[in-house]
Amino acid sequence: MSTQTKPSIKTWFDSKSPKTRQTLTAYIFLAPALFFFLGFVILPVAIGVFTSLFDYTKTSFAFNGIDNYTRLFGDEIFLKSLKNTIYLVVIAVPIIVLFSLFAAVVLYQKNAFIRSLFRTIFYLPVVTGTVAVVVVWKWMFDPYNGVLNYVLSIIQGTEVNIQWLGDANFALWAIIIILITTSVGQPIILYIAALGNLDPSQIEAAQVDGANNWQVFRHIKWPGILPTTLYVVVITTINTFQCFSLIQLLTSGGPNYNTSTIMYLVYETAFKLHNFGYANAMGVVLAVFIGIFSIVQFKLFQTKE
Amino acid sequence: MKKLLVLLMALLMIVGCTNAADEPKKEDPKTVTPSTDDITKMEAEITWWAFPTFATVDDTSGKYEESLVAKFNEKYPNIKVKVEMIDFQNGPEKIITAVQGKTAPDVLFDAPGRIVDYGRAGYLVKLDDMIKETKLAEDITSENILKASSDGTNYWMYPTSAAPFIMAVNKTALEKEGLFDKIPQTGARTWTTAEFEALSKEMAAKGYKGVEIYAGGQGGDQGTRAFISNLTGAKIMKDDLSAYDMDSEAGIKAFEYINRGVKEGWLEGNSAGVANDALDHFATPVNSTFWAVNLWSANLSKARAGQLAEAKIEAFSVNLPSESGKPQLEYLVNGYAIFDNKDETRAKAAKEFVKFLADDAVVGKENVLATNCFPVRKSFGDLYTGNAEMQFNAESAQYYGPYYNTVKGFSAMRPFWWGSLQSMLTGEKTPEEAAKYFTEEANKELNK
Repeated sequence: MSTQTKPSIKTWFDSKSPKTRQTLTAYIFLAPALFFFLGFVILPVAIGVFTSLFDYTKTSFAFNGIDNYTRLFGDEIFLKSLKNTIYLVVIAVPIIVLFSLFAAVVLYQKNAFIRSLFRTIFYLPVVTGTVAVVVVWKWMFDPYNGVLNYVLSIIQGTEVNIQWLGDANFALWAIIIILITTSVGQPIILYIAALGNLDPSQIEAAQVDGANNWQVFRHIKWPGILPTTLYVVVITTINTFQCFSLIQLLTSGGPNYNTSTIMYLVYETAFKLHNFGYANAMGVVLAVFIGIFSIVQFKLFQTKE
Repeated sequence: MKKLLVLLMALLMIVGCTNAADEPKKEDPKTVTPSTDDITKMEAEITWWAFPTFATVDDTSGKYEESLVAKFNEKYPNIKVKVEMIDFQNGPEKIITAVQGKTAPDVLFDAPGRIVDYGRAGYLVKLDDMIKETKLAEDITSENILKASSDGTNYWMYPTSAAPFIMAVNKTALEKEGLFDKIPQTGARTWTTAEFEALSKEMAAKGYKGVEIYAGGQGGDQGTRAFISNLTGAKIMKDDLSAYDMDSEAGIKAFEYINRGVKEGWLEGNSAGVANDALDHFATPVNSTFWAVNLWSANLSKARAGQLAEAKIEAFSVNLPSESGKPQLEYLVNGYAIFDNKDETRAKAAKEFVKFLADDAVVGKENVLATNCFPVRKSFGDLYTGNAEMQFNAESAQYYGPYYNTVKGFSAMRPFWWGSLQSMLTGEKTPEEAAKYFTEEANKELNK
């Protein structure tokens, strides 16, 4: 009676060359992360793109080709939301980046206590959580019980009832202000860390050679922190493009879609109007815009190495 | 080659996980079938999502609901119920997200507007058998309540309590100004638009803020719909619920009336607020005092009692002003729905839980009282004997209008309501344009 045994995985693995074994081991270690990446990033994206080609509502799921996409560009509300989104990015991102850089440069020169104190202050809105921050801002912006109108009433000596979040002239600016205060924490921390990584001997040498502060910043510090700037610009742009919770909690996109962003419109179209296919088409267009902006930023800020 | 290998390994893992997921989970309590015919011994694990309709205990959201689960478990020790509270502003979206992600709760405590919509979309378990078994139809106080729980074919909601939406005035402020006698105080406390306008102007002249027209979101938007339409005798929908009707002469007039009131300063336009903000402004004045609020109910009166007491304000409920003095009211119906999670045991356990909450001789009545509404069962009797406020609420039931919250596309209509109102308040649309835009878009949703 034959006692021939099946070759086990171990013997198969041992029979491979050391290089193949090393490669296989690396892939096995990568597999769990790859699984989650495929399952929770690539697959939903693929489903999103796929269902954007359907008339997908609570009760129907019918293929309609690129109808959702052609409809988008004739949809006044979508175009208004697109305009608001770009407006938000174009105004908020440069302010966030420049303010973070300025604050980091100033704070870096202070002693450790002051540096830590301000790092905490700027980072507080990030760790506090959007909802808690928004509750406070909502109270401040309240036209009847809010502190802003109260202070203005005292200054003017007459009652002020500005609808900060309900007036098209103020609402988007109110969102931008909150967005800036909640977004500068992370870049400041990153810039301070980047400044700490610069070689002090280069700065000292430049100063010895007679370089002024601006020249030191322009020719030594700025090139050194350019990779951080690229990261900050790209991440801030993506986060701003995806600005949603502030708008959902404060204005629901109003007044009359004047603070609606594409991200908010995706939510409203999907979860209030239950038009999932059309919402996914908006999501795809948003992703394309983010991609284009990111590529441009990489080209602009990429260092030669 | 490497890319191919990576893809292959990922696919293998997905296939492996899918196979693993298909195997029966022997220890999952959600799929355990009852081992005995005694229903009280059945084992299951269900989730209950509740909007904050019950009055809170110790000002803690969910505490009352947890106490109900504890009482239920005395009778059904093996049915575990997980309570999750959701809010009116974001809860509806949370439900849709959960349904799309196949993580819907088993039991939902809500109102017909959304529930019947979910039923129509196929998300719910039909409750026809349960309504028959508990003989609810024979015991119901109003046929309209049962109609509101159905889409015309099936029952999707198990109703428990109901109450009208009315309005409230600041009695303390009105008495201080010697104007409280201008408020209707007897019977169903009805009044006309002209009487309301005259009083609004008097209060505005004394520095008070008028009724707030909030248009920043859908939370409590039934308040503005009922208030605005009654002012000129307009109807949100035609009586046969075949179409929205705010582009009628009376509808446009109603929008114009609001616009005029805001411009003249005896109504307040808050294009960024929702009902909750208006209620806060009314119950907790800081910089301004509002003499009236257009959304009130017995339940809200109970929920806001602490705030009012702290502000030393006495609220007084009155009916909505109307052109004829006979308003058409919106009304709240509270009830339970059971989501179809494709698990018979969970559905059965959920039905037992709902029956316990709604019909138990003790808990059922306690729950009606906790909503400060009226029982839908005649057999529960008068739970508010000697309470003048509740007698007024009971009298207002004669003005219940057609219940349009269960028509097709109701929830999708709501953004167009407050959106139209908002665009009128901000001056981006004229009253006529706003009324016509709302009607046109709402009818599109109705006929989709």
